[in-house]
Amino acid sequence: MKILDIALKDLTQSFRSLFAVGMMFAAPLLITGLIYFAFGGLAGGEGGNDLPDLNIVIVNHDRPTGDNPRLGELLVGYLQEESMPDWLVAREMQDETTARAAVDQREAGVALIVPADFSDALLSADHPASLTLVQDPTLSIGPAVLADLVRLFVDGISGARIASEVISEQVQQAGVAVNSADLQDATAAYAAWYAELQRNLHHSGQPILAVRRPAAGGQASEDPIKTILGATMAGMVIFFNFFTGASAAQSILREQEEGTLARLFTTPAPRALILLGKFSAVFVMVLVQAVVLLAASALIFGINWGRPATVALLVSSLSLASTGFGILLLSGMQSLRQSGPVIGGVISGMGMMGGLFTAGMANLPKAFNTVTLFVPQGWAMRGWKLALAGAAPAEVLLTVLVLAGMGLAFFAIGAALFRRRLA
Amino acid sequence: MKTETNAIEVNGLRKNFGKLEAVRGVSFTVQPGEIFSLLGPNGAGKSTTISMLAGLLEPTAGDAAISGYSVKDEPTAAKTALGVVPQEIALYPDLSAYENLMFWGKMYGLRGVELRRRAAEILEMTGLADRQKDRIGTFSGGMKRRVNIGAALLHHPRVVIMDEPTVGIDPQSRRHILDSVKALNQQGMTVLYTTHYMEEAEELSDHIAIMDHGQIIAIGTYAELIQLIGEQTRMDLTVNTDPDIAVRAWENLPGVSKVSRENGAIQTLVQDSNAALPRLFEAASQANVRITGVNIREPNLEAVFLHLTGRALRD
Repeated sequence: MKILDIALKDLTQSFRSLFAVGMMFAAPLLITGLIYFAFGGLAGGEGGNDLPDLNIVIVNHDRPTGDNPRLGELLVGYLQEESMPDWLVAREMQDETTARAAVDQREAGVALIVPADFSDALLSADHPASLTLVQDPTLSIGPAVLADLVRLFVDGISGARIASEVISEQVQQAGVAVNSADLQDATAAYAAWYAELQRNLHHSGQPILAVRRPAAGGQASEDPIKTILGATMAGMVIFFNFFTGASAAQSILREQEEGTLARLFTTPAPRALILLGKFSAVFVMVLVQAVVLLAASALIFGINWGRPATVALLVSSLSLASTGFGILLLSGMQSLRQSGPVIGGVISGMGMMGGLFTAGMANLPKAFNTVTLFVPQGWAMRGWKLALAGAAPAEVLLTVLVLAGMGLAFFAIGAALFRRRLA
Repeated sequence: MKTETNAIEVNGLRKNFGKLEAVRGVSFTVQPGEIFSLLGPNGAGKSTTISMLAGLLEPTAGDAAISGYSVKDEPTAAKTALGVVPQEIALYPDLSAYENLMFWGKMYGLRGVELRRRAAEILEMTGLADRQKDRIGTFSGGMKRRVNIGAALLHHPRVVIMDEPTVGIDPQSRRHILDSVKALNQQGMTVLYTTHYMEEAEELSDHIAIMDHGQIIAIGTYAELIQLIGEQTRMDLTVNTDPDIAVRAWENLPGVSKVSRENGAIQTLVQDSNAALPRLFEAASQANVRITGVNIREPNLEAVFLHLTGRALRD
């Protein structure tokens, strides 16, 4: 009963501190909210990719030789088609200087310069074709999407060229005369079909091909932006959970400095029980924080955290790990003043090592992924990524056991150090 | 070790911190219902002795008993019989006065209706019933002190230890605390009171133990301690020059048993003030020292301390 009394007293004190409540709940939601504000429209479910408008100016110098088609004109027409995203607005300009000036003056986001030998180079295997993109350096996603679209177009043309050569060869081998006009039409049709297919697959809200991941368990494929948001929020939950664990454990130092800990030791309550009461408060705080953050982020950002049983296991083991680590960290501190900077530095450093701040990035080096497993944050991130992908409880069992084991080990060492210090 | 009759029994208590002997074999007994003071300068070992009795520190050697319960072998029972008022305010500033009392009452095993009743009684006793819902952090120093004392009394302890409760507070609050101690004692509570203020020990105590350098150097009632210096009189003198010159001139004079300086004044113990005063003046004159003030005091505990240690109580 006294354990509960002490824990409740600590929880009451903590939740009366505006700063503590702010750091526990407001800060992680605010940070993720900022990211959502920047990218969150992309995670909307109405089929549109709501990027800010990107004005493109195209300077077409393409002068194909012989019978080569005017691929430069084709490219301009491709970018001005109605099927292109609404946010992409393309217009032609006559000269490169004016186009570059438009970008400098922010009248356009990107200037696309098509060289004179564009068609010839693209249709020839002798030398590569090149296009120049001059972009506003403050933009990133829009120009990247444009570059992707142009690349698709070029791939389509290259594919069509190869396809026409193959068709021509096979038709000739079959003894059928090849009509160059028909061949050109077939090539153009192939190129148009290919470009449209790629545009649909990568830049449409309703692609004709849905890729399902094996662990998804029947869930539809996730919007990539939502996946990034989920991983980012997971990183925030883990980071702030460890931060809260350590901050809550500071209450032991605070009581020591204020004299209430000594007073507690003069009461009939055994010291072990007093410490256990304080440690319990830390655990409850981190547990409540994790639950609130997960629920709030699901409501606000639409993040699907995965199967309830998996989530429950991860929340429990994460809370154990962050509580145990907080107690261990504080057991080595001599004063409140010392603990502040140490907590910030250690938790941030471990967060970086654990990959919390690169959570939304894919294809990180294997060595980095290995390093993340040296800290509990890395294991937690691993577990949450699995959960977000719809993993079953059995699939996160190793992660849960490692986290719980780390937490209990940290707790045992920290508690022993505290008992010796306060003896 | 069980002794049924004594409220506190201390036998050969020792505490070493490394090579430092903070408490060197302290022994004393406190009868039920009395106020017992531990008097001594800062660093004498009073707080260390109290900490061992309260269960904060483990004795290096020796033992003590609170209401018959050994602090080493039966700490829980000993602590249940004891209320401790720490020197510094030890309350939670973010909790209200009522919440603090409720919490500390629970730590002493009180629950439910009884706890609520006792908390209400303490709030009435301390005159803070109308501020019970206010956070301790908003209280004045004197108000905090009252709650600090009240928290130690919730569980009706048989013995209360008060560790220098009047240090650093205003005279009015100090008066209030001293009156509270007497009131508690009149209700039958045994009080162990530590202080370095002689006048507090003199006013409150049935028995006084004078402590210095980790040892008890004298113990008894006020009258018994005063008898230690016999008929000696204490005279405090001020001079117009470096007091050390006067100290050297007087320390070997006949009829002068002790000379020491405290801040700018010189304290002497003399057999006969009428006979000693002319000698003091003559010796001062020979040393080119002019006496600017003389204060003849009745024998008191400061004089006793000076007699026993050669130092002033507040050196």
